[in-house]
Amino acid sequence: MRTNRVTAAIVSIVMVVAVLEPLRRKPWDDSFPLSPYAMFAFKRPTKLTMDYAYGVTPSGEKRTLTPRIVGSAEVLQALTIFRSARAKNELPQLCTTIAERVAAIPRYADVTMIKIVSGTHDAVDYLVRGIEGTEVVRMSCAVRR
Amino acid sequence: MRIGRRIADWWFSPAPPERLAAVRILVGAFAVLWVGGRIWETYAVARLGGSHWKPIGVTRVLDAPLPPDAVLAIAIATTVALVAFTLGAAYRYTAPLAAIGILWTLTYRNSFGMVFHTENLLVLHVIALALSPAADAWSFDSRRGRPPPPPPEAGYGWILKLLAAITVLTYVLAGIAKLRLAGVAWLDGEQLRNQIAIDNLRKALLGDAIAPLATPFLDHPSGFTIFSVLTIVLELSAPIVFVHPLVARLWALSVWGFHVGVVFLMNIWFPYPLLGIAYLPLLRAERGFAWAIARWKRRRNARRGAAGSAPDDSSLPP
Repeated sequence: MRTNRVTAAIVSIVMVVAVLEPLRRKPWDDSFPLSPYAMFAFKRPTKLTMDYAYGVTPSGEKRTLTPRIVGSAEVLQALTIFRSARAKNELPQLCTTIAERVAAIPRYADVTMIKIVSGTHDAVDYLVRGIEGTEVVRMSCAVRR
Repeated sequence: MRIGRRIADWWFSPAPPERLAAVRILVGAFAVLWVGGRIWETYAVARLGGSHWKPIGVTRVLDAPLPPDAVLAIAIATTVALVAFTLGAAYRYTAPLAAIGILWTLTYRNSFGMVFHTENLLVLHVIALALSPAADAWSFDSRRGRPPPPPPEAGYGWILKLLAAITVLTYVLAGIAKLRLAGVAWLDGEQLRNQIAIDNLRKALLGDAIAPLATPFLDHPSGFTIFSVLTIVLELSAPIVFVHPLVARLWALSVWGFHVGVVFLMNIWFPYPLLGIAYLPLLRAERGFAWAIARWKRRRNARRGAAGSAPDDSSLPP
């Protein structure tokens, strides 16, 4: 490609203007690859309510499940899977899928039940002081082997 | 008029083709590993189906998600095009294909309800490189035996400036977003602390590892004011990289340290800046390659000399 200065200037201006385009949008109007990069800019309280799943052993012990079991190696993608499933009344199917995956993993051999819950926790209390908040069970299903 | 001329002279100031080639090779190699190494994750997300489909960017042209096998095939083809891009093979044709492929594949990956911010800069850099003569050196296209291409009128420096400008602007935008949404209140440290706390809580509940320094820092929140001020200063001051190369290197080192801090406080990995690839346009990226090539040629010539043939130093880099 034998670029002359006019072409190079046009390419440069178009690329720079494109990268700056998100300034015209609201900061929460995200896209890809042109983003306002507002991911760490939002005000957030330390109290959080979110949906997640865990395994339960016959003695009632809780076992945390990795995000890959939910459907993605990415934590935030796993979070959206729960959100979407709940919004579309698909929690029974999601619970069954998780149970099937857990049944195939040897280190979860003691898990006999999956619970999908909505938990409300204060992040600092939970992480620093080990204080858990409240949980409401949305769906539970057995792990069949 | 004089200012315009000065800006043009600065923007088009010369740079060696090897510098641009080194950036192409390293950005391309990263892109190959990023897209190729995550093909199964891309496939897994594509299998989530229509109920999770939230198209963004270029994928808005689709009314419904593609069949997962088609997504997989596009991701594999993109990886192949990126290999050719990296090697500089048939660059005129493969570079645009690689750019379109990576734009599509990674946008598609982000079209399932969660937009990630770890790969935006990579896509923008590949697109900019694809529009430039980045395979004039150290490429299959410029291999020995072919006449070297005439240098383009615009030179090679402008594209390195453009790549640097794209890097700089992403940080400036991040700083502006904080001020737009939270104003100067973002500087008091509370919002950053809450972000870190919430992010680690999500990881803990969803079965991922929490960051190693999150808990001790959350227990002593006063440090977050310093982190917040440093973050905003680094982001908004990014354009100073164009003042002097030494300033650019210092800024790049500082921002790299910021990303290391994000790993220790949030366990969020931005591999593109963490590996230094995002800052290559600010550095003399060709030096490591030139040293390695010179060393390899010295060894080869030494072996040939020992075998009785004449040494070849005709293509040693300066």
